[in-house]
Amino acid sequence: MAEKDKDLLDNIDGEYKYGFTTDIETETIARGLNEDVIRLISAKKEEPEWMLERRLKAFRHWQTMTLPTWAHLDIPEIDFQDIIYYAAPKQRKKLGSMDEVDPELKRTFDKLGIPLEEQMALAGVAVDAVMDSVSVKTTFRETLAEKDIIFCSISEAIREYPDLVKKYLGSVVPHTDNFYAALNAAVFSDGSFCYIPKGVRCPMELSTYFRINAEGTGQFERTLLVADEGAYVSYLEGCTAPRRDENQLHAAVVEIVVEKDAEVKYSTVQNWYPGDKEGRGGIYNFVTKRGLCREGGHLSWTQVETGSAITWKYPSCVLLGDNSVGEFYSVAMTNNYQQADTGTKMIHIGRNTRSRIVSKGISAGKSQNAYRGLVRVAKGADNARNYSQCDSLLIGDKCGAHTFPEIDSHNPTAVLEHEATTSKISEEQLFYCNQRGLSTEDAVGLIVNGYAREVIAKLPMEFAVEAQKLLALSLEGSVG
Amino acid sequence: MRLLDYLQSRGLRASTGMCTLGDGQAWEIIINPSTVERTVRGRLSLIVVHTADDAAKMHFDLCEGASLNMIELFTADSFSECNINQQAESDCRIVSVSVAGSVADYTINLDGEHAANHLRSAYIAGGEEHTKVALRVNHNVPDCTSDSLVKGVAGGKSTGEFYGLVYVAQDAQRTDARQTNSNIEIGADAKIITKPQLEIYADDVKCSHGATVGQLDGDAVLYMRQRGLSEEQARRLQIEGFVSDIVLHAGEVGEVLAEELTTKLEIL
Amino acid sequence: MLSVKNLHASIGDKEILRGINLEVRAGEVHAIMGPNGSGKSTLASVLAGNEKFTVTEGSVEFMGQNLLDLSIEDRARMGLFLGFQYPVEIPGVTMANFMKMAVNEQRKFRGEDPLTAGEFLRLMREKSAIVELDSKLTSRAVNEGFSGGEKKKNEIFQMAMLDPKLAVLDETDSGLDIDALRVVATGVTKLHTEENATVVITHYQRLLDYIVPDYVHVLYKGQIIYSGDKTLALKLEKEGYDWLISKEE
Repeated sequence: MAEKDKDLLDNIDGEYKYGFTTDIETETIARGLNEDVIRLISAKKEEPEWMLERRLKAFRHWQTMTLPTWAHLDIPEIDFQDIIYYAAPKQRKKLGSMDEVDPELKRTFDKLGIPLEEQMALAGVAVDAVMDSVSVKTTFRETLAEKDIIFCSISEAIREYPDLVKKYLGSVVPHTDNFYAALNAAVFSDGSFCYIPKGVRCPMELSTYFRINAEGTGQFERTLLVADEGAYVSYLEGCTAPRRDENQLHAAVVEIVVEKDAEVKYSTVQNWYPGDKEGRGGIYNFVTKRGLCREGGHLSWTQVETGSAITWKYPSCVLLGDNSVGEFYSVAMTNNYQQADTGTKMIHIGRNTRSRIVSKGISAGKSQNAYRGLVRVAKGADNARNYSQCDSLLIGDKCGAHTFPEIDSHNPTAVLEHEATTSKISEEQLFYCNQRGLSTEDAVGLIVNGYAREVIAKLPMEFAVEAQKLLALSLEGSVG
Repeated sequence: MRLLDYLQSRGLRASTGMCTLGDGQAWEIIINPSTVERTVRGRLSLIVVHTADDAAKMHFDLCEGASLNMIELFTADSFSECNINQQAESDCRIVSVSVAGSVADYTINLDGEHAANHLRSAYIAGGEEHTKVALRVNHNVPDCTSDSLVKGVAGGKSTGEFYGLVYVAQDAQRTDARQTNSNIEIGADAKIITKPQLEIYADDVKCSHGATVGQLDGDAVLYMRQRGLSEEQARRLQIEGFVSDIVLHAGEVGEVLAEELTTKLEIL
Repeated sequence: MLSVKNLHASIGDKEILRGINLEVRAGEVHAIMGPNGSGKSTLASVLAGNEKFTVTEGSVEFMGQNLLDLSIEDRARMGLFLGFQYPVEIPGVTMANFMKMAVNEQRKFRGEDPLTAGEFLRLMREKSAIVELDSKLTSRAVNEGFSGGEKKKNEIFQMAMLDPKLAVLDETDSGLDIDALRVVATGVTKLHTEENATVVITHYQRLLDYIVPDYVHVLYKGQIIYSGDKTLALKLEKEGYDWLISKEE
């Protein structure tokens, strides 16, 4: 992947490089949302009755809810009846092997630098690719099956592993959680499901690649990841979308269950279309991500957020079990008219729980970038420890960088620390780099990557390279 | 000695409301105000004491080059809202101490260049008190500085809360703002809530904030016990040490404020 | 004065002291040496009563009392002083305030009246001269911002103030340059009388050039494996511990 990716990245001029659309026959349903639409989605997915019931319950609850407005975001009104809730690349029959995937579709993922089979084999990554609303291909299933690891689309999981899905789906993010989580629970069309059995160390990186292609659609994928006792998995997630003048809604839910002594690393490189230089178009990325750790569990979130017109996202850890550990490493970069309000929640419930937060915000252009975080220590959470570091880097004098942390401690044995700084790239640093022959743009890229290094270093190798280039690309035009 | 007794010993008369302290300044003493509105030219030294569960609303306009030196003490569950607008080159220094379930809510507007604000606050909450310090510092113009440190101790079943915001407007370049909140939680049922926030719209700024929630340093307690202090003494000494750099900024009144805090510690 | 018999102590599941025997009488100076991790600092901590360690076996008698039954502060008030290897910084608590409390607690324990402010200041001045401690340091917070040398001088200053029966000095020489070492060691020697005793825990012979021990003990794997007079320290300096350890194994 790395080589191919490199070529792709080297040959572009700084504009959003994933902005193409794939000319592929797509099956969509009419715009709008009501119970019939939900029945239709459920029927198309050939879902059992209990799943439909869950969806309807979520939908009815969603109708009673109002949009959250507390974030530091200026969100234009969204007409939820003007969205297409289901779109799928048309397939003639169920896929048996890679050869049966629509060649056009395969080319799409190749173009994205996500070749579905051969290259990934070299990189040792198993991929679930989700285009618009459905999972188009999951690779490496047989290899994983040898270890009894289940990695498939969530639709398939609902049909094939109903007991696991019933037990875990909605157990970390219930449909009542928030407006977008409720909407997702009602209309989600696909996503990935992953189950690592007791004591199994997943032999390869698992990856889901999300792609919005069809016009006028929303994407509502749902990811459920369960690491059973003592299991380990590293999971990657990437996202892109075509360049369009309209805003498209992406409201995903990711749920992670980390059982006793299990470890999960979840990495995201979010590069949804951010809109153009004037702020036209772009994805609204309203995502709920949360993991629950039981005794001795360890969950680590790493995210590099460079895309989307608006990002509203707080990957969180509920540290329920004693001695569990939560981590959150984030780089959020905004340019032009992008807005981001992102951060995390660390909820300490078990004893001796530890968490660490490292957030690096980078604002350029006319963008607004906010860190929002909560560290809560429940009454019984003896000896909880948290360290948070939230830095902001400003590039240009028309952008904003904000920090909204909250610490809420109910236990006198807690030791919690939060530090935040705000800085800009100094003239001296630029001059120094210029003097050594670097262009200002390269110098800024270099300095920004240095600033974000602590977080990027947490990503698996393949992603780290991509993330570094993305950061440099997203900065284009921000220094003059 | 309590603060009011001390001030009387230094010549405070009810008729004038004034007293001269060792710094040679005439200090104005206000007890349980409901509203205070002042335009400050030159220099104002002020001690405000809240001894009743009342609400107070205070407003100060600091003219160019003016300075306000304010010491505020809460010994009752009062609610105080204080707005300070600062013009160019003005200087405002506040020391705020609470030994009750008070709410002290400050909004500072730095409206003129090279205005400076310096705030030090300490509180000890006990019983079922909810003590809150809210502080919004608005850097509306370039070249201003603000430096705030708020320290809280929550014992018993009390709640200590800090709400802080440093706001830097788009043109407020070369802002230098610092906001720190440190807390010690000592009661098994005590709570600390802290929200130190930054909202920044200018790039050439030096802004930082920090917040900590912790407990007494076990190693320090051990060290002091090895020198013969009881655990109780070691703990108290440490809490006194924790708030000492706040009252330090209140000049000679600082010792009296320290005593108020120590007295509160005894009933925790 | 101090009688340690078959002392075993552990931290968590890990046994660190495995049967220490040690007799210290008034007027004596003992040096305890040994390689890293042999249990030297643990012995000091256990004598002082650090609750991180659990005594699993054995007995310690100090001034005719069962030491292990006493709280940390009561051991201190009876005259057991521990000079810390890493003295703790206590922000905001001034040295003067801290020492006044410590001295008066000891006096109260002995049934004496507390010192007046004047008496106390005089005592401070007199004792700080012993270790050439900058008098400014006594108005600062305990150990806060002190250099390594100042911290160690400050330990000996406190020892002078509290006039202990038994001082256990844990690596008091570590991290000191030669001048500071001389000042600290001379201070300790000045404080030594026929009525009190000192146990010096150290890595290096160089401290023992100033504080001449009556006995030198080698601690290894939680036991005293060899004892001798001051010449033992010189031999250890020259030949290391290998000859003792290989004999042991």
